[in-house]
Amino acid sequence: MEERVLVVDQQKCTGCRQCELVCSVYHTGSSNPSRSRIKVVKWEHVGIYLPLICNHCEKAYCIEVCPTKACHREPELNNRVVIDKNLCIGCKTCIMACPFSHPFFDIKEQVTVKCDYCDGDPQCVAFCYAKAVFFADADKIQTSKKREAANKFLESLKQIR
Amino acid sequence: MKHLRPQEHWGWIIAIYLYLAGMGAGSYIIGAIINWFINPSRVVLIRGLALDPAKAALLWGPILVAIGAPFLILDLGIKKRFLYACLNPRTSWVARGFLILSIFIVFGLVLFAKSVLPFGWLHAESDLWYIPEVIAIAFAFGTAIYTGILLKATKSIPLWNTYLLPLLFLVSALSTGSMAIILSTLGTGLFSHDTGALEVLISGEQILVVIEGIVLYLYLSRRYRVSEQGKDSVRLLLFGKKKLIFWGGIVLLGFIFPFVLETIAAFSHGNVVLIFVSGLTLLCGGFFLRLGVLSAGIKEQIPMQRWTEFQYDLKAINTKDLPGD
Repeated sequence: MEERVLVVDQQKCTGCRQCELVCSVYHTGSSNPSRSRIKVVKWEHVGIYLPLICNHCEKAYCIEVCPTKACHREPELNNRVVIDKNLCIGCKTCIMACPFSHPFFDIKEQVTVKCDYCDGDPQCVAFCYAKAVFFADADKIQTSKKREAANKFLESLKQIR
Repeated sequence: MKHLRPQEHWGWIIAIYLYLAGMGAGSYIIGAIINWFINPSRVVLIRGLALDPAKAALLWGPILVAIGAPFLILDLGIKKRFLYACLNPRTSWVARGFLILSIFIVFGLVLFAKSVLPFGWLHAESDLWYIPEVIAIAFAFGTAIYTGILLKATKSIPLWNTYLLPLLFLVSALSTGSMAIILSTLGTGLFSHDTGALEVLISGEQILVVIEGIVLYLYLSRRYRVSEQGKDSVRLLLFGKKKLIFWGGIVLLGFIFPFVLETIAAFSHGNVVLIFVSGLTLLCGGFFLRLGVLSAGIKEQIPMQRWTEFQYDLKAINTKDLPGD
């Protein structure tokens, strides 16, 4: 099976925060966005919305710094990085180490939680009507992403001029 | 400093842990060296037991570390699982620290008990005891340096990601540790001003404070230049919301007060009250140093955030709504 990754198109995000709701319902059984594994950062007055997701990095700092090996990689499931709740002691070292501010501390469970691709069927992707978050093949996404980024950069440069 | 906030996950509990671990290790290093070269002894009979409080005053560092270690446990989400914290010493500094501190506490407490309590069957005068003593001093150095390396291992925070931080914490551990030794022996007559021993100790302590000041200056100036977030962190500490911790806690309590008071004490024949007050302010300064460094840690921006900020500024200019801090 080909490896798939979560990708965000920040331009398409409308800031509805549906992804946060469905994520928390799927993982915790409660409709509580503060316990969600995806967070949307908003700059409301200029209309910028940035969904923050886990990148499941190849060189993952969270795995490196975890003292209990609770944070580990599962190559068989899209090479995802997950935290074993039964091993996590809630030391928050992974939260400090992640450059993408990803793992979150779950106040109720007192452990650190993170995106696990919902075991292969990400709920944020299924419920995002704007298609701002999608689950795509890792090999194919790079070229299109690079092209998109180059186009965006070109547009921005034109705006400045 | 717009959109950027310092980390809030590690707060004063971790600062106390780092502080007590550093001070305990530093005081053990200084105390054990004094014990080797001077070997002071004051045997006192308490309920028929021949105890040696002079050794207790020098070698009590491991007790401080043992008091500090539970603060790390206190900060954990699930405290009862604290023993899991040593499962990944291959890559994790928290796990390595757990082992370093545990070994130091065990060796230190055994040596403390051997020196203070009258266990004749332990052959306290045997040369073989040098082996555990050297191991304990090595792990005391390890503990003092580890408190800085724990923060250095967080690569995404530029304020912490430097070898100057372990060095700063080591020097601070030695200066607070030597002050802890001076305070614990003060008034006992173990090192009186007349014999000059107290003078030597205080002079050594003052030299350590000066070195600490130089390392702190180097540390902050390097961090200011290293990256945008390093600059933000230093500005936050020096002129932002944390300025009271820096100027009041670190500079005034940790450097100026003790240095001035110790100098006055040197001219007033080792005035005990002055030394005591300067010792207390220096120890408070050591704590504020850890708290300041911890609370001013700002994460490096990721490219996505930079991109968003770029767009934010662009849109704000277009809508004539300039962004506020």
